Amino acid sequence: MNVLRATWKILTQVARSFGGGLGLIIVLTVLCSAAFAPLIATHDPDRIDVLHRFAAPTLEHIMGTDHLGRDMFSRLVHGSTVAMTVALCAILFALMSGTILGILAAFLSTRAERPILVLFDVISSFPSLVLALAIVGVFGASTSLVIIVVGITLLPHFGRVARAQVLTLKHAPFLEAERLLGASTMRIIFVHLLPNIAGPLVVLASMDIPLVITIEAGLSFLGLGVRPPLASWGTLIQDGYQFLSQSAVPVTVASVALGIATLGFTLFGEALRDAVDPRLARAH
Amino acid sequence: MTGQPLIAMTGISVVYPGGVRALDDVTLEIARGSVVGLVGESGSGKTTCCRVLTNLVEPTSGTVMIDGAPLAEIVGRGDLGFRRRIQMLLQDAVASLSPRLAVSTLVEEPLRIHGEPLTEGRSRITELFRRLGLPADIGSKYPHQISGGQARRVAIARALVLRPEVIIADEPTAGLDVSVQGDLLNLLQELRKEFALTFLIVSHNLSVVRRITERTVVMYLGQIIEEAPTSQLFAAPAHPYTAALLSTNPSLDPRKRQARIVLKGEIPSVVNPPSGCRFHTRCAHVRERCRTDVPQLRLAGEGRQVRCHFPLAGIT
Amino acid sequence: MRSIPGWHGRIEMTLSPLMQIENLSVDAATERGTAHLLRHVTLDIARARILGVVGESGSGKSTLASCLLRLLPSNVTRVEGRLIFDGVDLMTLDADTMNAYRGRRIAMIFQDPMTALNPLFTIGTHLVDVQRRRDSGIDRELALATAEAMLTTVGVPDARLRLGAYPHQLSGGMRQRVMIAMALLVEPDLLLADEPTTALDATIEAQIVQLFEELRQRFSGSIVLISHHLGLVAELCDDLCVMYGGTVVETGPVADVVADPRHPYTKALLACEIDPDGDGPLLSIKGDVPDPVNEGGQCVFAPRCGHVIAGCLSGQPPLRAIGEVRQAACIRALETLP
Repeated sequence: MNVLRATWKILTQVARSFGGGLGLIIVLTVLCSAAFAPLIATHDPDRIDVLHRFAAPTLEHIMGTDHLGRDMFSRLVHGSTVAMTVALCAILFALMSGTILGILAAFLSTRAERPILVLFDVISSFPSLVLALAIVGVFGASTSLVIIVVGITLLPHFGRVARAQVLTLKHAPFLEAERLLGASTMRIIFVHLLPNIAGPLVVLASMDIPLVITIEAGLSFLGLGVRPPLASWGTLIQDGYQFLSQSAVPVTVASVALGIATLGFTLFGEALRDAVDPRLARAH
Repeated sequence: MTGQPLIAMTGISVVYPGGVRALDDVTLEIARGSVVGLVGESGSGKTTCCRVLTNLVEPTSGTVMIDGAPLAEIVGRGDLGFRRRIQMLLQDAVASLSPRLAVSTLVEEPLRIHGEPLTEGRSRITELFRRLGLPADIGSKYPHQISGGQARRVAIARALVLRPEVIIADEPTAGLDVSVQGDLLNLLQELRKEFALTFLIVSHNLSVVRRITERTVVMYLGQIIEEAPTSQLFAAPAHPYTAALLSTNPSLDPRKRQARIVLKGEIPSVVNPPSGCRFHTRCAHVRERCRTDVPQLRLAGEGRQVRCHFPLAGIT
Repeated sequence: MRSIPGWHGRIEMTLSPLMQIENLSVDAATERGTAHLLRHVTLDIARARILGVVGESGSGKSTLASCLLRLLPSNVTRVEGRLIFDGVDLMTLDADTMNAYRGRRIAMIFQDPMTALNPLFTIGTHLVDVQRRRDSGIDRELALATAEAMLTTVGVPDARLRLGAYPHQLSGGMRQRVMIAMALLVEPDLLLADEPTTALDATIEAQIVQLFEELRQRFSGSIVLISHHLGLVAELCDDLCVMYGGTVVETGPVADVVADPRHPYTKALLACEIDPDGDGPLLSIKGDVPDPVNEGGQCVFAPRCGHVIAGCLSGQPPLRAIGEVRQAACIRALETLP
């Protein structure tokens, strides 16, 4: 109940600024289309209609059709499902494993935490695209691989923030008070520590979503991401790009959609950061 | 003092990495039902003393006995029962409450931690809130929504809900306005009678210590330098440091004002304490022996101890 | 006694107060609405005397100090009243002139000297800069010599060595001495000290208190000592000003006020001081400190006062004279209350 009320309070605060409000609308639109894609899509996204390839936007196909005559709007809507699945799963994976490793590092001694910090450094110094190429080269392209690759790439983000947050709170009087009552370390971490470091981590997660969307699109564009015929924003751009000489509509529609979604999540993330911690807003 | 002391610290030393000797050979007994005051300035080790008693810091050497059982063994067995027996009130009460939990949850936490039935516990909490003068609707509030005085009472409720025997209070009146500190001290004294509590009160407020404690322990640079019944200590301090410390307490009544003994110099660092008597660098009565010989804590009259070669009082 | 370089040994013969605070009100915007930090404060700061301002949290004593320097927090929405300093209303001055007053005629000592000392500059640089505020052409060597003499005066050992030290290399007590030295080098007419010993250990506090006592022999200006510690104020000050809920409730010579308080709040506050020889329960004032957002309409102390009569509820009583040198803001100030 309390969590719901707090969430509602923060969202209303996000919506108060122009950027935040716009971001919130875009985010909600993308999330809705991702969740209810089959209901929203006007056509079967994979139905080929060669007679109507490269159709300009009409009432029938409001965003036109691609080189196989597939309805662009429906493919975009279904592509949002892929984008959101990849983004949310990858972020969730990075958030959870990063937070666990970050908390662990903060609680360990300086020497014991070193391997974890080295791991973070190794991951962040490794170009994610090269990592993706290597993994796809070994295992072949698939959606779950994209999720894992992107998740691993983002893991140090969350790990470092979680560690820094825990380090500032580690000697806080309220944690000491719980220790004095006899609370176990696990109880202290889950009941008292996590709720207090969750804010910055959630903000970071929301700001990383556009990053994941673009990485996924990039990987799919290169043919390393989701497999055709599954509609991903990256593959849509790739398909449109190949037939750019015949029609600019598919590539434009897909790129604009990707751009708007990225912008929306970025605006939302920034407004969320300001709402959760006004001090951070001034620092940036 | 007859019978076994409830708490006995023997030869406790705490050395932090980097050579900081926070406590040096501290021996202290607290009798059941007594109220002991611990005074000293920064670096004196009074906070470390509390942290050793509550097992937040493990002593480098020495033993702590609780009711005749060594604390190290109790902890080694993984027995958290001693946490019920010794509770501590932290100095900053507002910061000692987990900020994302409601007051009702906070007060039930001790019960959950020790696996006590909540239904029976809740009625105890209601009774405690009433006893502590907390409004009934405070349970739904969060720590940042309550006043400093209320936060202190909530912290006391959290400590008392486990029915402890010992309460260690670190600066119980720090940060409280003069107009409300009396209320809190009265409350602590009443609770002591009702719950048969033993109190260790750490404070820099000498008036507080003088008014509510039975024995006073004075610490300087990690050592106990004087221990005596409070009335005797305030009437005739034996250690020159105690005398100087007591003289700094300003009084409103010009007739009671005593000549302030102003110590020269600063408090030396615990990393590199002075040779001989640790107080010799600031002592007005320093003699040659004080610079070289380390004084031991020795008896100075009935129930009094002092760590000084040439005490001002008590030894005839 | 050694003379302090550049010290003005002027003895002020005029009887007019150094500073007259007239009807000063300060409002600030908060989340819950407009907070009245100061409500119609009227107070004189006499020449060459030490005035102690005491009050609990929310009494407005710190706001008053920042007001005297015209350094108010950014959320302040309204400042009204007059601050007449040696015949000049500080409220009417432009920012540059006010800056000059702050640097030369009014100096301040803070509770935490670290906030006022720049961690990147040595103590010597701080002390030279302060002198350059008065005389921008002063020779650095000469200024350093003056600084060293002043550090010795305020009891800093090895003064020459300390000139090269950085603030973080000094203890809290030493930093407070440096702050006092800085304030004295300014040779101000008014020295504001906001809880100057609160952050210090007892034996170090005693040293600083002693320093203040020595200062009053040499310092010809006025000192305003803001503190929550009645005992300290009673020992150090000549005059006392008791504040409550953003108003001045009582003023007068310290000894008189302590011996015979005329405002019920002063009386209650004095009773709360722990008498070490007493026994029985300790006294306190029931109820909560006033909410600054509250509009008022009655005496600020009425909700906690044991002597309320109908007249107390019809508005905040202004300060009224009791005898020649004392004032109290209570309609029953002249009655003998139990």
